[in-house]
Amino acid sequence: MILNEADARALSHKVLAFSKAEACLVSIGGGEGRHIRFAQNRATTSGAPSSLSMSVESHFGQRSGSASGTDLSDDGLTALVAASEDVALRAPENPELMPPLGAQTYPAGTNYAEATRRATPDQLAAAIAPVLAEAEAKQLQSSGFLQAEAGFSSFATNKGLFVYDLGTDVLQTITARTPDGTGSGWAGAAHVDFSKLDVAGLGSIAIDKAIRSQKPQALEPGKYTVLLEPSAVSDLVGILVAEEFDQRSADEGRNFATKKGGGSLVGQKIFGDNVTVYSDPADPIAPGSIYSDDGLPAQKTMWIENGVLRNLQCSRFWAQKSKRAPVPSPTTLTMVGGTTSTAEMIKQTRRGLLFTRFWYIREVDPQTVLLTGLTRDGVFLIEHGAIVRPVHNFRFNESPVAMLNNVRAIGPSVRTYGEEGAGIPVCMPPLLVEEFTLSSVSDAV
Amino acid sequence: MNRRSFLRSMAGCTCATLLPSTLFLGEYNAAAQDAVQGLDLAGKMRLADLAIAFAKTQGASYTDFRLCRYQTEYVEAREHRLEESSIGFSAGFNVRVLLDGTWGYAGSPLATDDEVRAAAARALEMARASRRLQTRPFVLEDIPAYRDRWDMPMGIDPFAIPTDDKIAKLLAINDAALKAGANYATASFAFVRDEKFFASSRGSAIEQTRVRILPDTEVTVIDKITGKFASCAGLAAPRGSGYDYLTSYDFIGEATRNAGLAREKLAAKPVEPGTYDLVLDPTNLWLTIHESVGHPTELDRALGWEANFAGTTFCTPDQLGKLQYGSDLMNIVADRTQEGGLSTVGYDDDGVRSTAFPIIQNGLFVNYQMAIGQAQLIGLKQSNGCAFADDWGSFPIQRMPNVSLQPNPQSCKLDDLIADVKHGLYIVGNGSWSIDQQRHNFQFGGQVFYEIRHGKLAGMVRDAAYQGITTEFWNSMDGLGDKSTYFLGGAPNCGKGQPEQTAPVSHGAVPARFRQVTVLNTERKGVA
Repeated sequence: MILNEADARALSHKVLAFSKAEACLVSIGGGEGRHIRFAQNRATTSGAPSSLSMSVESHFGQRSGSASGTDLSDDGLTALVAASEDVALRAPENPELMPPLGAQTYPAGTNYAEATRRATPDQLAAAIAPVLAEAEAKQLQSSGFLQAEAGFSSFATNKGLFVYDLGTDVLQTITARTPDGTGSGWAGAAHVDFSKLDVAGLGSIAIDKAIRSQKPQALEPGKYTVLLEPSAVSDLVGILVAEEFDQRSADEGRNFATKKGGGSLVGQKIFGDNVTVYSDPADPIAPGSIYSDDGLPAQKTMWIENGVLRNLQCSRFWAQKSKRAPVPSPTTLTMVGGTTSTAEMIKQTRRGLLFTRFWYIREVDPQTVLLTGLTRDGVFLIEHGAIVRPVHNFRFNESPVAMLNNVRAIGPSVRTYGEEGAGIPVCMPPLLVEEFTLSSVSDAV
Repeated sequence: MNRRSFLRSMAGCTCATLLPSTLFLGEYNAAAQDAVQGLDLAGKMRLADLAIAFAKTQGASYTDFRLCRYQTEYVEAREHRLEESSIGFSAGFNVRVLLDGTWGYAGSPLATDDEVRAAAARALEMARASRRLQTRPFVLEDIPAYRDRWDMPMGIDPFAIPTDDKIAKLLAINDAALKAGANYATASFAFVRDEKFFASSRGSAIEQTRVRILPDTEVTVIDKITGKFASCAGLAAPRGSGYDYLTSYDFIGEATRNAGLAREKLAAKPVEPGTYDLVLDPTNLWLTIHESVGHPTELDRALGWEANFAGTTFCTPDQLGKLQYGSDLMNIVADRTQEGGLSTVGYDDDGVRSTAFPIIQNGLFVNYQMAIGQAQLIGLKQSNGCAFADDWGSFPIQRMPNVSLQPNPQSCKLDDLIADVKHGLYIVGNGSWSIDQQRHNFQFGGQVFYEIRHGKLAGMVRDAAYQGITTEFWNSMDGLGDKSTYFLGGAPNCGKGQPEQTAPVSHGAVPARFRQVTVLNTERKGVA
């Protein structure tokens, strides 16, 4: 369910009026979506979920507690406020509790498209139909998921802050497989605007890769030059920045960005010269939410600039304690692209591998952000400037920190989607990377 | 097991499904009666009948209606302070229809007559639109109709325990760790109560309640001079249990030990990569079972329905009854009736009565896990009750029952397994975990690793992970602990489906010995 800004504000103020606490913070969120899932060239599940919930946080001095619920009737709201106050009064004092923020200035939201909110079930089915038809015609099995969602969130405090954000998101992922189970190809994309997403085009990419990836051969594991398509890059860079860039843990001595002897590596060049990563809620290709932690405005934030570590996420408490400005968590992520096309990268490669996407990435060692995971749905051997044949999947054991020191070429940055990444809108380029560590072969297709 | 959900759950369950505990009933119960909580069975049936009758008039051949209420409480402490104390509830319903062999579903948090009709209409609209993509209509097998109520047996209701007591327990755990030399310590408890009402056009009307407890602790030590750090997580598993599970667990002793183990890790020698005989503690092996046995034997994967996300499986239907999955010692049972299991329930979310059945018998692959509409596709008659929807707003899909390795009927202790190893590793607890999309190539870490030399433990090593191929690994198992060594592990957040759903599931295990497994050294040069 979508509340408009006026209704969300009125509901928030009603709850704040119920509050007896010294400080009260109210979050409301809801959404409406439609999706169609298909597999083996048939529709499997199609749904139209709807949600609406509220969370209330109450403070008494340094004590705090919160309660969330889905009953937004007057009785339900009264109960929710009372519950949060009861939890707060039972809590011991938290010396790190920060007072709520007052009014803030926010950028205008740009992540909304009416075409997405109004997308009908028939429009979704019509968009998918050509994918199934092409797969059938080429005797392949297609599977996928198309989802169009609209959602809102609001945040208010009894110190005068109110912010409302309305956004839309379309996600399409498609996997095509050969009936003999030896070939598999994937394509995926996300967008704000349903009318701009080329579902049939994505289907053709997945189908082409499935055909070209049939009957792969095994290669020895080892260190390879790899061409990572944008989805694969988004997973590794997304995990690094969204989950590992943390000022407090770096200062406390338990983060990859901890400096020997104490402190953090912020300000030092720890990545390659050609690496720049930032967040911008108004990014024209991958816009994100206009606010972040505690209602802080989402602002353009440079994380890595020409290889220099510029910022780590920093809570309001840690910022105050360490005399820094707070750095809220990113609501979108962009890696600055280059001008080398994927075709040119292939031409530049004497011997290497092209990876479509990754799967099941987990952290092995937080000291170095060593990650393990697997390639999936399209791995190809490149020799003497051309793709020569499909090869089996690999397990990698590699750190994105090391990877971003070995980038040889960068392509144009595009809106992409990765199943394993940061879970926020991302804009990533394809990368040609040297010395990528592949530790074993997987015969999974 | 899902990574993002895992991180969220470890970070504090800030999702909207957190809820209020009955602890507060005395103070705000009258006002806290949400629409679902206030409904008696007749009221629930009336809403279900509305949805079922409406869908029938529109041509649906099958309809089911789920009305759910989830309560949660979450408390987390970091060092000597409370980081978070939150409660919440989430209530709503879902209507699922089968129209001309095509599924559609819709849900809403507003349990009113108008909203039920509107949701049924949306579900029908989705099914109607998707019919053009339906090349092979779904057919459902006959399912017995049940009118029943099932409540999870438990000792002390965790929601009857004052939050203050839970917070005091967490702070005491951290205090013990810090006194034992940890630099940092975190501890958290999460509590969940599911209340579900299910009714179907086949005539079922089932009410169920179950409770889950999720403890989590970790200590960290640092060395400022070298910039190195090490952590050690507690081994208390999430369970479908009462609060007495928490009071009987020695968290204080474990926190004290873990501070020492983390410090020992910093000084341990790096593991030499190579081939080792492994003795896996059940606190490690349960997750290997989950990933390398539980997931590969899901029928929806074998049918290709998860090809775009969770993946397919090497266990294709032609392998059923033929594949020698593991050694003769390997017996794996699926059991949704197991006491303490996170997946334990009376009826699944298709309305099928839960049961227990073998998956692997003496090493042979003998059964898949199934939801409705699947069995006949491989020549079988009926679902074995493995459907689950993680929320009132979700579609029930095939999810894992409690899948467990059965103990050795012969007497065998951990020391007996270690005694027959010349050069090996003994691995305790879970570290990182990853497996390919067909569940063949895996890599698992651990919390602590001990070298085995000539049948005895020979000190801690660090930076180890083991890699293997599922069937080679299980066929290399030649030693198994007896029932006295049994441990019930589990995960609260197994990920699958699109939109992604998370499911709680338990896995019983005993210590087991595996021969000649590849072990990696995972240390890399840092940037400091």
